[in-house]
Amino acid sequence: MVDMGIVVGGLWLKNPVIAASGTFGFGAEYAEIYDPARLGAVCTKGLTLRPRQGNPPPRLWETACGLLNSIGLQNPGIAAFIREELPRMKEQGITVIANVWGDVPSEYEQAVARLSDSSVDAIELNVSCPNVSRGVPLGEDARRTAQVVRLARRACDRPLWVKLPPEGGVAVARAAQEEGADAVSAVNTFRGTAIDIETGRPVFANVVAGLSGPAIKPIALRIVYELVSVLRIPVVGIGGIGNRQDALEFIMAGAHAVQVGTANFVDPLSAVQIVAGLEDFMNEKGIENWEVIRGSAQR
Amino acid sequence: MAGKVEIKQARVLSNARLKDRVFLLKLQGEFSAAPGQFYMLRAWDRDPLLSRPFSVLDRTKEGISFLYVVRGRGTELISLLSPGDTVALTGPLGNGWPRHEGRIALIGGGIGIAPLYYAAKTLRDTDVYLGFADVPFLVDKFARVARVRVSFETGEEGTSGQVTAMFRPDGYDVCYACGPQSMLIVINRICRHAGVPLFVSLEGRMACGVGACLGCAVKTTHGYARVCRDGPVFPSSEVVWYG
Repeated sequence: MVDMGIVVGGLWLKNPVIAASGTFGFGAEYAEIYDPARLGAVCTKGLTLRPRQGNPPPRLWETACGLLNSIGLQNPGIAAFIREELPRMKEQGITVIANVWGDVPSEYEQAVARLSDSSVDAIELNVSCPNVSRGVPLGEDARRTAQVVRLARRACDRPLWVKLPPEGGVAVARAAQEEGADAVSAVNTFRGTAIDIETGRPVFANVVAGLSGPAIKPIALRIVYELVSVLRIPVVGIGGIGNRQDALEFIMAGAHAVQVGTANFVDPLSAVQIVAGLEDFMNEKGIENWEVIRGSAQR
Repeated sequence: MAGKVEIKQARVLSNARLKDRVFLLKLQGEFSAAPGQFYMLRAWDRDPLLSRPFSVLDRTKEGISFLYVVRGRGTELISLLSPGDTVALTGPLGNGWPRHEGRIALIGGGIGIAPLYYAAKTLRDTDVYLGFADVPFLVDKFARVARVRVSFETGEEGTSGQVTAMFRPDGYDVCYACGPQSMLIVINRICRHAGVPLFVSLEGRMACGVGACLGCAVKTTHGYARVCRDGPVFPSSEVVWYG
């Protein structure tokens, strides 16, 4: 009997496959297709203290093997999430990781404090949304990231994960670790852009949008590999994971768990099929638990 | 009422070119779509990455059909399918047309006639106004289930002009429209002046099709709505047409 369960930064997951923030809503939409409680956890759409209406359309642009998005953190706000979405998610048996954004450090602190009074299972600090920042993104600045994680850590009694941008480097990840993060999720989308050749103008009002999908997988995998080699805390791998092969590569690079994002759009069953695929792999290879293969590529 | 969202493979019965880049795809199997709903289709592995949303044209005992225009690589790949090939579908998705009694006008422009046929077939007292840029398509099919008036801008026979010039709102209890934004804006103005409720079916670039990604946002009087899940059918009074 294989043990699919895994403890990641203080949070026990029944399996290491998590729905990535922004690709799974609050679990209700995909619940019409399969039971989201079959996943290790669901990361919520990025939450902010106040409701946020998001960016003007167009918000999507398909690229070769990838997807640019500029959603802009459209969300109902933390109070409405706790009132209207969280009870249903918990009732369905979903392990809930609340993804949180703040425009300024004090907003992170207040948001995390509110969520610590709720039944969320863990909090993922989003320091890496490419679609709402101005200037140097928070998650590419180790000093500012350290400040945010410090404030959040003080306000938080739940497992605290920090979702990193691809461009932040090891310094930002180390800063998160030093300030008490229980794990890091790597990576958020890559900053990209697209231009409409009919108008000669950028497709997106913000010019910059976030690139996800199979196009980013090898780069995300390299970043995860590097982070695992220097951090003490667990790394949760994200970036173009669409099948069991992708998920296993991240685990063998040293990730404790993986998040499936854009692949949910490609095939709504992707995440749950990866769960089944990983279980099959463990059975085929006679692997009893994740420690046997985790980080095998690092040795 | 519409059925549960399903993910399945279906066999192509036919995939006929109606004109230039306009095609009619028929798939075999049992489907549960209601009028105005859509499916996400794909006939490839991971490239292009996303599935493509297709409005349901018709649903019969033998299967389901979609009217589409080739716009990019996804629709081009769909257009290359032959009878016997398989397509992956997710759906039915979206809200579909509301159920109404009374006299109903359906107004469609170009490829926008697609979501109107199934509605015309299931509603009773219906007039259909179809507008085309040049060569009309599927007019005979509509004429078998409703009273039909056709306009085409460059045509020599029948009414020449735009569907917006042909349509009169008087006497209708409700109108349904689908077509280019420019057409919908005019129909909206006509119906608003006449005090006739209008519902419009909108399109949007979609990733998930189920309401999770928030990519297909459309501005409404109560904030951004999702075309795929809150729509594709909206009361036109709630759509922010300029903005």
